[in-house]
Amino acid sequence: MGKRFTLTWDKFGSNSEKLFNRSRIFGQFKRIWIVKDVGALRRAAKNFSRRKMRGLMVIIALGFSMAIMISIPAGIMANQEATQHLTENFNSTITSMQEEINKTATLIECRTSGRSMSSGMPMGMPPFGQEERFINETVIADIASMDGIKDIVRFLEQSSEETTSETISEPGGRTFTISRPLYTIMGVSLNSSLISGYSILPANITAGRNLCDGDSRVLIMSSNLSDYLGLQVGDKIEVYGESFTVVGICEVSRQGRMETRVVYMSIFDAQTITGNSGNVSRLDIYAEDVSDVDVIADYIEAVYPELYVTTYQDRLESLSSMQTMYSTTLENAESTLAQTQSLATQEIIVVIAATSLIILFVMLYTVRERTREIGTLKALGFSNWNIMSQFMLEGILISLVAGVAGIAIGSLGAPFLSSLLLPHVSLFGGSSSGGFRPGFGSTNPVVIGSETAAATLSLPLVLLAFGAAVLLGALGSLYPAWRAAKIKPAEAMRYE
Amino acid sequence: MSELILKTEKLTKVYNMGKRKVTAISGLDLQISKGEFVAIMGPSGSGKTTLLNVLGCLDKPTGGTLLLDKVNVSELHEKKLCEIRRNKIGFVFQTFNLLPYLNAKENVELPMECTKRSKSEREKRARELLAMVGLSGREEHRPQKLSAGEQQRVAIARALANDPAIVLADEPTGNLDSQNKYEIVRLLGNLNITKGTTIVMVTHDSQIASQSERVLLLSDGKIMKEKQGLHLVKKKLMCPYCGSRIQLSDVRCPSCRKRL
Ligand SMILES: Nc1ncnc2c1ncn2[C@@H]1O[C@H](COP(=O)(O)OP(=O)(O)OP(=O)(O)O)[C@@H](O)[C@H]1O
Ligand SMILES: [Mg+2]
Repeated sequence: MGKRFTLTWDKFGSNSEKLFNRSRIFGQFKRIWIVKDVGALRRAAKNFSRRKMRGLMVIIALGFSMAIMISIPAGIMANQEATQHLTENFNSTITSMQEEINKTATLIECRTSGRSMSSGMPMGMPPFGQEERFINETVIADIASMDGIKDIVRFLEQSSEETTSETISEPGGRTFTISRPLYTIMGVSLNSSLISGYSILPANITAGRNLCDGDSRVLIMSSNLSDYLGLQVGDKIEVYGESFTVVGICEVSRQGRMETRVVYMSIFDAQTITGNSGNVSRLDIYAEDVSDVDVIADYIEAVYPELYVTTYQDRLESLSSMQTMYSTTLENAESTLAQTQSLATQEIIVVIAATSLIILFVMLYTVRERTREIGTLKALGFSNWNIMSQFMLEGILISLVAGVAGIAIGSLGAPFLSSLLLPHVSLFGGSSSGGFRPGFGSTNPVVIGSETAAATLSLPLVLLAFGAAVLLGALGSLYPAWRAAKIKPAEAMRYE
Repeated sequence: MSELILKTEKLTKVYNMGKRKVTAISGLDLQISKGEFVAIMGPSGSGKTTLLNVLGCLDKPTGGTLLLDKVNVSELHEKKLCEIRRNKIGFVFQTFNLLPYLNAKENVELPMECTKRSKSEREKRARELLAMVGLSGREEHRPQKLSAGEQQRVAIARALANDPAIVLADEPTGNLDSQNKYEIVRLLGNLNITKGTTIVMVTHDSQIASQSERVLLLSDGKIMKEKQGLHLVKKKLMCPYCGSRIQLSDVRCPSCRKRL
């Protein structure tokens, strides 16, 4: 008995003093962080799971604020992406239009009405009650007699007899019903030299073949129409009471928010079935040289004022007005984005404050509730730092678990939360114009409405959320942990 | 006289309650030797808990000196005091103060957590200590699954974890029925005999106090009286009532049948 006692006693004597000094720098650190805190961590986890209901409530509350915290940047990022997408769209549209215009520098377009299928909606005009006008062969012969004309391509554009009514929904949420022709008939010249020289026929044949010189009573139709009617290559279709065979299906570009359904056939067939022999609705006049364009256009405009004439110059002008419109749109988008960002910053600050306050109060409550335990631990030789790190660890653990919950809630609710908290990015400064449709020639215009930006969580965002959780946990539990460390053990033991 | 482990000179503790001052200990002189089993008695408010807290470095005296193993503790800072509490003192409380979310073994391991012992060493020692207080097989049980007496045994095992020089027990039997009271005080007595552990125990119960070897009577923060207890005789493994030989495991004296 005596032996053991002496041995024990020596631990506190000179021997242990030396040992203690040597290991002071390394040992202290190791003792506090590695050896001690594995136990502290286990205790923190056990403590946390002790009050299941309370833990759950705290986790849900914290989880929501964490979810908001990550949903807002996700929403901002989605809006930025949408804006960037828009810019790219604009740029590529402008570029492709530019190319198209440059390719057709010698083209003079003559139409009998201001709008046509290829200039967007509404199509298949004329409006009811208005006499439909055509260009006849006498006029064509007169124009053809001018100097400097290389080729003239005739088109006849007619509406189908059948009509459909369709419901259209605006991006703003409004819906309305319109009635329009089921499809548009495009009668085109099937002269082989014209077909090969200019882009008259649709380029994108997905089934069957394209039209060629000498075709009669056959047509090709846009895929949306063939889908609508359930027709395939080789099937028959009645147009104005005449039977046609579908020989090909083509893809048409989307124009406006409604797709154009169209059939292409020989202009003679189109003229015959619609009773418009010798009539055309559009002429594409190609000059020998760019320098001839103005003279020809001026002459046609002077002699035939009822015709709508567009030249290279006109198209350039409309392009530049479009560019202006685009850039205003983008400016609007960017300014709303900037507003959104500043609002988001404020919201995030509020949420961060709220989150750390929740942690602060929960931890303060925990410290109060466990005063006796803290006193006991101190009596057992836990240092102030041990106590402090114990409670810091608990705070961080709570907010980490909340972070996981937040990511779960956020990944499901990010689009909803961000749309709830951020203004809808409007590209038109609030005017609900329902988008505008730049229409020109046969280029593919983009639909520009208010882009819907769906917020989604990315990996960096999730990692950021965990970082924030650790930080907020530490921040929120700093003061309560400090309070715990400062508790006087003798008084804690009296505390009931 | 054997080596002193604890010595106070004119020890004073005054609480400041705003303007009013409460003197809990007033100029108390006390000497306790290594291996003693001392009981402190006294009326409520006489300063027993305060004295024990000061002796255990949980509270600082406002005057006088306190020598703990020849170290003047009254001059030390909180950081050093914490080390002394960890390494030299074992506390046993009236309300056990076990951590409810830890099992018996983990509770016993707690004081060793801040020491150099490895995890496996800590576990091994916790098992040994629990076996010593008669709780082998109950290592994984949480406090709420243990009876009051068993909880106090766990607390005693925990107090012994770092081989303290002195065990301070504030009314360790205060929350126990008479059966358990005697078992706990017998356990403390046996530890004192087998391990040589110095024990200072506060109690209201004179029957329990008489089981120690020296009883101090405290009144108004001073020691008023001192008397011998039965334990001194028991240390020689003799029955304090009839003087016949006894064994440590005996609950009653084999010849006079009195409770030991
Ligand atoms: N923190 C404190 N602040 C003020 N006065 C205190 C404080 N702690 C104790 N006292 C006073 O000091 C005196 C001694 O108290 P203490 O708790 O030591 O008595 P005790 O002998 O342990 O009593 P009991 O038998 O009831 O446990 C009492 O008058 C008490 O009111
Ligand atoms: Mg007391």
